[in-house]
Amino acid sequence: MNYTTININDLPSLSTIRKLKTLYIMPKTYDKTAFANCIAVVGSRRMTSYGREVIEKIIPHLVMEGKTIVSGFMYGVDQYAHDICIQCGGKTIAVLGWGIAEPFKDTDVLLAKNIIEHEGIILSEWEYQKPSIWTFPLRNRIIVGISQEVIIIEAAEKSGSLITADLAIQMKKPLWAVPGPITSVMSKGTNRLIAEGKARPWIDMSKQHQSSSEHPLVALLAHESLTANELARKTNQPIEQVSADLTILVLSGVIVERNGKYSVQ
Amino acid sequence: MLVKVRSIANIGLETIPVDVEVDVASAGFPGFTIVGLASKAVEEAKERVKTAIINSGFEFPPRKITVNLAPADLPKDGSSYDLPIAIGILLASEQLPSIDTNQSLYYGELSLDGTLRPTKGVLLVALHAQQQGITTIYIPEASAKEASIVPEITIIPVVTLKELVIHLAGQSNIAPLPHTPIDETIESFDTLYDISEIAGQEQAKRALIIAAAGGHNLLLWGPPGTGKTMLARALPGILPPLTPKESLEVTRIYSLCGLLSNNQAYIRVRPFRAPHHGVSAAGLIGGGSSPMPGEVSLAHLGVMFLDEMAEFPRSVLESLRQPMEDGVVEIVRAAGHVKYPASFTLVAAINPCPCGYLGHPTKPCSCTPKQINKYRHRISGPILDRIDLWVHVSAMDVEKLTITKPKQRILSSQTAKELVMKARAIQYQRFSRISMYTNSQMRNKEIKQLAHLTPEAEQILKVAAQKFELSARSYFRLIKVARTIADLDASEYILPYHMAEAIQYKQLQ
Repeated sequence: MNYTTININDLPSLSTIRKLKTLYIMPKTYDKTAFANCIAVVGSRRMTSYGREVIEKIIPHLVMEGKTIVSGFMYGVDQYAHDICIQCGGKTIAVLGWGIAEPFKDTDVLLAKNIIEHEGIILSEWEYQKPSIWTFPLRNRIIVGISQEVIIIEAAEKSGSLITADLAIQMKKPLWAVPGPITSVMSKGTNRLIAEGKARPWIDMSKQHQSSSEHPLVALLAHESLTANELARKTNQPIEQVSADLTILVLSGVIVERNGKYSVQ
Repeated sequence: MLVKVRSIANIGLETIPVDVEVDVASAGFPGFTIVGLASKAVEEAKERVKTAIINSGFEFPPRKITVNLAPADLPKDGSSYDLPIAIGILLASEQLPSIDTNQSLYYGELSLDGTLRPTKGVLLVALHAQQQGITTIYIPEASAKEASIVPEITIIPVVTLKELVIHLAGQSNIAPLPHTPIDETIESFDTLYDISEIAGQEQAKRALIIAAAGGHNLLLWGPPGTGKTMLARALPGILPPLTPKESLEVTRIYSLCGLLSNNQAYIRVRPFRAPHHGVSAAGLIGGGSSPMPGEVSLAHLGVMFLDEMAEFPRSVLESLRQPMEDGVVEIVRAAGHVKYPASFTLVAAINPCPCGYLGHPTKPCSCTPKQINKYRHRISGPILDRIDLWVHVSAMDVEKLTITKPKQRILSSQTAKELVMKARAIQYQRFSRISMYTNSQMRNKEIKQLAHLTPEAEQILKVAAQKFELSARSYFRLIKVARTIADLDASEYILPYHMAEAIQYKQLQ
């Protein structure tokens, strides 16, 4: 794949990073507006089913709010976040932990292609550089740099994601962590960030909903799965309105439809 | 003596004048011959005419009788030449005083006792007479009513041959049938199946209204016994009634097939046809050695319902592609090339799986995933691609039906029809400059020009397209449906919630 260079002065959000002069970026003609409203979604390589579910729930909301999802293109949480973002029709930026001219691994080729095809961006600060133990923490500062906010999905007690969290605090970017079960190793890091007051807990599907109440249809679906007809009868609303609401809720990933019945995801 | 009596031949919906020339020779060996590419049914007219003349109290001349049906190269079929032949023989043998036969058409089948039997295609006779400026038509009384919608001609309803001879001789008079104008009021007929009789299924009923308003094809899928057939039967009742012009078009087809009942002058209610899945391709689109209209033409301007669509043979369903695309069928047979109109709304019903109980709340489904997959792939993609609205008809517990006494206003077919007619009026205005009537007929070009999609609505559609992996065709189909929903809402633009509702009716993956 072809790439080009970009002068760091063209991206004011990164100009504060020391010793960073240029970035390598692909595709050659990229959408500059993608950098306007970015949110970093990062987490562990060892993603649990809980982490997977969280990503499926919150990314569609972020996309609907017009945000670009930034992540680190590593397997686990990062790649799944890119993937879901593309599936929802959103834009995503992948920051590589290695040189841009290095060939992609077999398992990464498809995702990389998908990102480019869906108007996404892949970038790196190196041209030729093998992935190494020191390259990954370094690229985290770029992830945080271009993002206005950072969400940590899952992180163990000693995790690279905690480095990202520290960088976010240093760069004064709002930091969110998704709380998890106290029994889960993969939520120890995130729970600790919340406990220590470093991160705010992300406790609902979207940011707007962090405090507001749920949609009445979602409340009805919390305990049983129902058809559109049953929901119309229970809420005493015209079917056309219920139908429209259900579509929006499905598109934002709050509920799912299976064989004509809706349930909370 | 040679006489000429005028009649007609129907080739499909096209009417061609036929001269029945009868010669009763003064010399020669007695005999009776019909020439002019007569089919078996016409050949047999000899026996019917001969016996009917004798049983009516006249003499069958024991001389050489030759009948020529001109033009001689046009194949003639059917029993309608009995009456003109009989009249020709009576004139040629001078049992009837000489009359002017140039200004009248004779058409009808004779019974052995001399009475006239109901005959197919009488309306086409009347229309032909009107077009050609022929003043009088003599037709069987039993089928005469359908001709009475044609103005400006004299219709003589004939009961028996004897009565007609007395009338023609001027000894008594058969009263002409008065003209029946097509009633244009809406309330003049009631619907057989009212949607208010269907319990629940709000979403499916809403889809019926959208289908009726925008002329969209509709697919209902769900377990057996959930009311799919009832819903389909309710659709004609919410469609606007046929306009006089449309009524004539439909009545012509039904007249040609002899499907009008005795005292029915014209068809006002939109046709509803529900062919069984054993139907042949010829039965569905029309056929036969002299091609007759098939189910698609009988459903013209109405509804065709295919229950258990997956059970129809694939080849039969494939034959629907041309009529669904063009609104007409062309049938080519040895006897000729015939075109019939076939513009209908398709309503299809399918079960979710071969056993029918996939997703049923209480009954288990006994199908394997492979069977289900195979079942769903049985219907051809191009046919499914022409269906805009997909609705899940869910099974309901009897308990729920009775407990939830609907407090909501129950929608009647009458109210639904008014909604539909308002939306149709908006579409009529939109397409006033192009030859289209409904949103479902829009092509991509018209969609881009006339759909008026707001950016927010488009954004919702884009997100949905990604999430559900919609094809480009489904993408445009959803815009068409959203346009109809916006028309039902009398909104100039497709607003986000119109689009969101339309996405509910997307094609099943």
